[in-house]
Amino acid sequence: MLSFLRVIKFAFQDMARNFSLSFMTVLILMLMLLSVNAVVVVRVLTAQAVSSIKEQIDLSIFFDHDVTESQIEDVKSHVNSFPEVTSVTYLTREEVLDAFKRQHEGSSDILSSIDELGSNPLGPTLIIKARDPSDYQKIITSLNVPEYEDSIEAKTFTDTEKAISRINAITTRVEQLSFGLSALFAIIAFLIIFNTIKVGIYTQRIEISIKKLVGATNWFIRGPYIVEATFFSLVAILLTMVFVFGAMRFLDPYIAIVFGTPSFLTGYFTSHILTLVPLQFFAVFTLTALTSLLAMRRYLRV
Amino acid sequence: MITLTGVTKQYTKDSIALHDIHLHIGSGEFVSIVGQSGSGKTTLVKLLIAEERPSKGKIDIGGWDITRISYDDIPHLRRQIGVIFQDFKLLPKKTINENVAFALQVAGEPSHRIREVVPRVLDIVGLGHKMHRYPYQISGGEQQRVVIARSLVHRPKILVADEPTGNLDSINTLEIIEILKKINEFGTTVVLVTHNRDVVNLLKRRVITLHEGKVIADEAIGKYRL
Repeated sequence: MLSFLRVIKFAFQDMARNFSLSFMTVLILMLMLLSVNAVVVVRVLTAQAVSSIKEQIDLSIFFDHDVTESQIEDVKSHVNSFPEVTSVTYLTREEVLDAFKRQHEGSSDILSSIDELGSNPLGPTLIIKARDPSDYQKIITSLNVPEYEDSIEAKTFTDTEKAISRINAITTRVEQLSFGLSALFAIIAFLIIFNTIKVGIYTQRIEISIKKLVGATNWFIRGPYIVEATFFSLVAILLTMVFVFGAMRFLDPYIAIVFGTPSFLTGYFTSHILTLVPLQFFAVFTLTALTSLLAMRRYLRV
Repeated sequence: MITLTGVTKQYTKDSIALHDIHLHIGSGEFVSIVGQSGSGKTTLVKLLIAEERPSKGKIDIGGWDITRISYDDIPHLRRQIGVIFQDFKLLPKKTINENVAFALQVAGEPSHRIREVVPRVLDIVGLGHKMHRYPYQISGGEQQRVVIARSLVHRPKILVADEPTGNLDSINTLEIIEILKKINEFGTTVVLVTHNRDVVNLLKRRVITLHEGKVIADEAIGKYRL
């Protein structure tokens, strides 16, 4: 117990007396953590953007205007049989016409053309939403059979199919890029911390050997470095979180314009703080402590 | 107290630092080990504090065969031998008081005893009034006295001094030698490794002469002969 208390005392004494080195170590750890959190923000925003785009995708099945109720029911029950389908909305001919008129409110030519026809030229519509954009292809293929050829305008499927495949390609690429960026930052951060700690230990190599010659055990020498690693990690993570929350408060109004959700990033960090803080602390502490122990190993062989 | 039986230390095939050394240093003796550079003096010190292990032979210190000492037992051995180095080896970020106290702290001595003993030992070496200074704030001679205080604070039975006057002027050299003589008078075995002719001749004690890793002379009241 006495030795443990002395180890803690020596750790804080060393940190105070090597203030510039302690300050630099915390600063480097903070820069690393800020980089990691920047990647977290990018990933969260990417995920939100992708999810928003996916939410806006639906599959509209436009029926011929002379389609019968039983044909519509057939298609509806066929579509509902897919487990990937989350919702099916049926719009009558009148509802489709109203929606069309609302959509083209400013175009008097289009509206007058409709009026000139005298009757509703539009058929009823089914709006289908699936769990994932890639699910639509399966539904489209299943509807592209002779059984439904007479009742459905097949051209609409082709347009949707192209859009969906493009969005799938973009989201996959964005996710790959985000993952690659995270991996790159993690490697850079690891190398910076590893070298900072290694240089720190190198400058204290003579002191380590003196302590050994005076009769200190390896634990008595290593102990303060473990305490310092814990303290540096704690301070770095606390300061990083202060910076991160400050930055989130600044960015949130701009993010709200895009996603329409107020305090989106602050909300994300607040709800995930119990995962993010311990995880980052554990990673930084393990890295600093392990690097310290490995770096001083050769100087303990006295 | 210290017995070396057939000790050889070979670093590489062509580099033999010590060759078949047989020595016995009794309790309370003051022994000077002399020799030119490269004669094996420093290797001998390193073997005594288990910084190196012999390639052959046996070293016995106070009945403890340190050639077979486990890695975990090395700190315990070093707490029983006081060592004075030529380059002082003081901890630069600790005050003089803390440097001396460190030797007791590593041994797990209670704080109240450390607070009591350290100032007393520093007073003995004449540095009580400078105990809160850092090593760089005192002279070389004073730094060496701090090292002596640190090596004595846990009352070792053996004091090994490796060229303790190598970096000092003649006045400081004499002061350090006087302190070592006093320490010896109190019963501590002193092993002084030096190549300072004047110091050895002044002492008029046992002198062991090393040359190319071998003992070439061992005189009860010797002189520097190289």
